[in-house]
Amino acid sequence: MRKQGLWGFAFTLPFVLQLLIFFLFPFVFSLYLTFAKWDLFNPPQWIGLRNWDQLLHQKVFWLSLRNVGFFAVLFVPLQTMAALFLAYLLNQQLRGKSLFRLVFFLPVITPWVAGGMIWLWIYNNEYGLLNWILQSIGIQPVDWIRSGNWWLVIGSIAVVNIWKGAGYSMVLILAGMQNISKEMLEAARMDGANGWTLFSKITIPIVSPMVYMVMILSTISAFHAFDVFLVMLGDVISVADRNMVPNILIYRDSFLNFKMGSASAMAWGLFLIILIITIFQKVTEKRWVHYE
Amino acid sequence: MLIPFLYMLSTSLTAPGSELTLPPKLVPDPVVWNNYRQVWVEVNFLQYTMNSTFITMMDLIGMVASCAIVAYGLAFFEFRGRNLIFLAMLGTMMLPSQITMIPTYFIWKSVGALDTYYPLILRSFLGGAFGIFLLHQFFKTLPKELYDAAWVDGANPWKIFYAIYLPLAKPALSALAVFTFISAWNNTLEPLIYLQDKHMFTLPLGLLFLKNEVQNRMTLIMAGAVTTIIPVLFVFLFAQKYFVQGIASTGLKG
Repeated sequence: MRKQGLWGFAFTLPFVLQLLIFFLFPFVFSLYLTFAKWDLFNPPQWIGLRNWDQLLHQKVFWLSLRNVGFFAVLFVPLQTMAALFLAYLLNQQLRGKSLFRLVFFLPVITPWVAGGMIWLWIYNNEYGLLNWILQSIGIQPVDWIRSGNWWLVIGSIAVVNIWKGAGYSMVLILAGMQNISKEMLEAARMDGANGWTLFSKITIPIVSPMVYMVMILSTISAFHAFDVFLVMLGDVISVADRNMVPNILIYRDSFLNFKMGSASAMAWGLFLIILIITIFQKVTEKRWVHYE
Repeated sequence: MLIPFLYMLSTSLTAPGSELTLPPKLVPDPVVWNNYRQVWVEVNFLQYTMNSTFITMMDLIGMVASCAIVAYGLAFFEFRGRNLIFLAMLGTMMLPSQITMIPTYFIWKSVGALDTYYPLILRSFLGGAFGIFLLHQFFKTLPKELYDAAWVDGANPWKIFYAIYLPLAKPALSALAVFTFISAWNNTLEPLIYLQDKHMFTLPLGLLFLKNEVQNRMTLIMAGAVTTIIPVLFVFLFAQKYFVQGIASTGLKG
């Protein structure tokens, strides 16, 4: 380590500017805005706790929390299981492994808007692929995305999110699986362990730190999801309250309705909720994650 | 996982109108290229492609250069506030963009940069937490003796950086370049907030509004989606190795 401090400071200066201008100032200003009324054009006005009070009494905010909660409850376990399955598959001695990896990874690099458009078409009520398949096995067509049932709409979107995200989580879990020594598996097999026992007694405990990380990352990403809802829910201004999610609500309140104060309060409220969930996950970590 | 892509490709090559017949055909009959011509020329996707390419390239250059310099500074020098910068860097990864979005918009509005590419590009030149973290971890694995030897030979820290350590960091720089390319190309929220003028739209933004422009004609929308995916697919095919390694070694995405 060099003690040429001036050089070190000069090299890191760009990022210090980044931190001050685009993180510290926005952080403080946004916290202030949660106590202010501001339309972006006139000077902000201090209104105390009014934004927070309104937030707690705003029905659509609670609906949006219910929806994103339901979204996370579906998305996190299902995506983790899918990723675990795909990683297990790729960890076998398969032919064409790199081709499979590419296929699993394709959705990850696909721009959200493009991926969403494809699924809107698949979910299309009259001519979509999904309803056609259902009809050919004798099931009535379902209007997935424009259904009156909020859980059907949110659930359909969760499926898209799993399709998009599973490949990414798979890579993380696969990295952990490749650390499992062949000798250990071989020894267990000698002792008469079958495939399921190997998987549940050796593979799962060893990859559990990776699985845990995947669950934390996907929980956070579920609450941060914006693009998927932007594409799938259609025009932001006309999204029905029953289908609302927090980030779309924040975007609508700020950049379409110019209520910067209440939008900021909502952003902070959501941030606090994510923080509490993450801390809770961290506390329960020791119960089931195996560290060597 | 592949079926949605095949479905997209097939619809994009279908004659307008026949996508509305059942059953859906996997291989369109006849194969029609006109949807692409229409989207590229009449709805300006050619222009959007150029806009996206320009913004992505600028982001890429800015991000790789600035992250390399900052990571080098953090990895090889000791100075006051170094640990604070490190801590703040990790903190920025936790902060959701919804919190910083409104004040950041205010900053760009105050300097009159709305409806320009500056909000989408300039910040990349000040580095990002993910890239700095990635390169810092990499620099840490390189031998310090090289630095001392070059210093004794009279090279200054800047020269040591670009003549010795930068060439050694090529694998990590490539990983960061691929990450930056993909996240810049796929960026939706920022173009949505900052760009009003249609001629300046990026591909994802153009695709988002295409629906209204072509009255939900799926053949055209799917041609637009293919156009948006193809460039990022090519980059990924060539740089797959770096991308997958980058995720596995940091567990984070750009």
